[in-house]
Amino acid sequence: MTHPLLELAKTRTVLFDGALGTELMARGLGPGVPPELWNADRPDAVREVHAAYFEAGADVVSTNSFGATPLKLAAHGLEARAFELNRASARLAREAAPAGRFVAGSMGPTGRFLQPQGPATVVELTAAYAEQARALADGGVDILIVETQYDLREALAALRGAKSVTSLPVFVTLTFNSFPRGCFTIMGDPAGRAAGELEQAGADAVGANCTLTTDRMAGCIRSMRAATALPLIAQANAGQPEAGADGKVGYAQTVEEYVRPVPEILEAGAVFVGGCCGTNPDTIRALARIIRR
Amino acid sequence: MTKNEIYPKMSEAIVSGDRAAARALAEEAVRSGLDLLEVVEQGYVPGIQKVGELWEQGEYFLPELITSAEAMKAAMAVLDPELKLKALGSRLGGKVVIGTVEGDIHDIGKNLVASMLQAGGFEVFDLGADVKLERFIDKAEDVGAGLICLSALLTTTMMNQRRFMGLLHEKGLRDKYKVLVGGAPASRKWAEEIGADGYAENAVAAVKLAKSLAGR
Repeated sequence: MTHPLLELAKTRTVLFDGALGTELMARGLGPGVPPELWNADRPDAVREVHAAYFEAGADVVSTNSFGATPLKLAAHGLEARAFELNRASARLAREAAPAGRFVAGSMGPTGRFLQPQGPATVVELTAAYAEQARALADGGVDILIVETQYDLREALAALRGAKSVTSLPVFVTLTFNSFPRGCFTIMGDPAGRAAGELEQAGADAVGANCTLTTDRMAGCIRSMRAATALPLIAQANAGQPEAGADGKVGYAQTVEEYVRPVPEILEAGAVFVGGCCGTNPDTIRALARIIRR
Repeated sequence: MTKNEIYPKMSEAIVSGDRAAARALAEEAVRSGLDLLEVVEQGYVPGIQKVGELWEQGEYFLPELITSAEAMKAAMAVLDPELKLKALGSRLGGKVVIGTVEGDIHDIGKNLVASMLQAGGFEVFDLGADVKLERFIDKAEDVGAGLICLSALLTTTMMNQRRFMGLLHEKGLRDKYKVLVGGAPASRKWAEEIGADGYAENAVAAVKLAKSLAGR
């Protein structure tokens, strides 16, 4: 598929943004409030975070819609507002985007386990993702990114759901744990096999995000590189969250520690890089310096 | 079947997640009049321990863990009533109150810990998710639990784990209970800082820790 973002990735490393939820919390998002609600209630704050990431050098920002499948919103009794909140998230990111920059519509896990581990069916999940994808496309995103998936079956359902309602490129990232014998999701999907199956199902880029810190990410990306010719995405965490004595939550890694292994991740084959939990505009600024060096 | 024949089969039924076999073997043990405490400890528990090892090594994943825990539950569903009849149940484990703290609706990890604790011989009272802090105490007082497990997945709601410790102190009940904390943002350091009795990285580690705190 030819798309300006995929074309750009053929010429240089493309930079995604960092964490969104913690940036909204820093602007007053309270505990128990779904961040997506701010697309309606505090649009300025959401736009401001996107603008900060663009200003830090991000080529692409992800919309404030990670938890906005109707299935996930149902936990807050907000499923009836899924379309509205997703479309609003796309519009806010679009409004914050300077010319020539991109908006990725974020689609995170539904939180439901598929049968036989749980009650959910592939049909049900596919429909939920299709509804979210339709709203994000309607709001003007450039691409969709199915993120932080821990079950390859759900990732495939999301991909197929998205492809059923839009012709936009769909990127897919899963989250892996690293073991001596390789990277696996908690459901046991190996990184290489996941990349191969997603490619066959029509993904336009695949990758790994969350859970792993930058020093563990390269191995995971190498496994994917060996299994697919698709462009690869790497969005690592900045350590694990820790609460300080003052009750404020911080992440274990400094920006310097975070970016040090990044050249190895690029060498392993990642063409899209960005941050995940624990990262902020400073992290993205530091990443921008490295990839544009 | 002799003990030496049936115990490895019990363990194998758990490791392979074979619910029907786990149940049938338990029924056979009851019929043959075997020492049922020994059946649990030498037949089934080694199986669930092996599952834990496989999980830690990255050989087993969530689907295997869930099927093994269910096989264990199927066996315990047969053995529990018999053990209770003989008033031996209380020697097996202890009572545990578990839940996800208020403001937090994530319960996947907590459910897994609850299943594994149950599989490990504890009597588990699962309060669900978004549980008011007072309810943990009320339930523990009510059922005579020794252990309270608090889950929190969010960096914001983990503060309720700290608040819970304060609440226990206020009520003068701090020394009556052992408190375990878990969830993505929690850590050993966090447990120490808020004065909880322990933290476990995953469901398998949680059972080990619960057992050591229960003096088993």
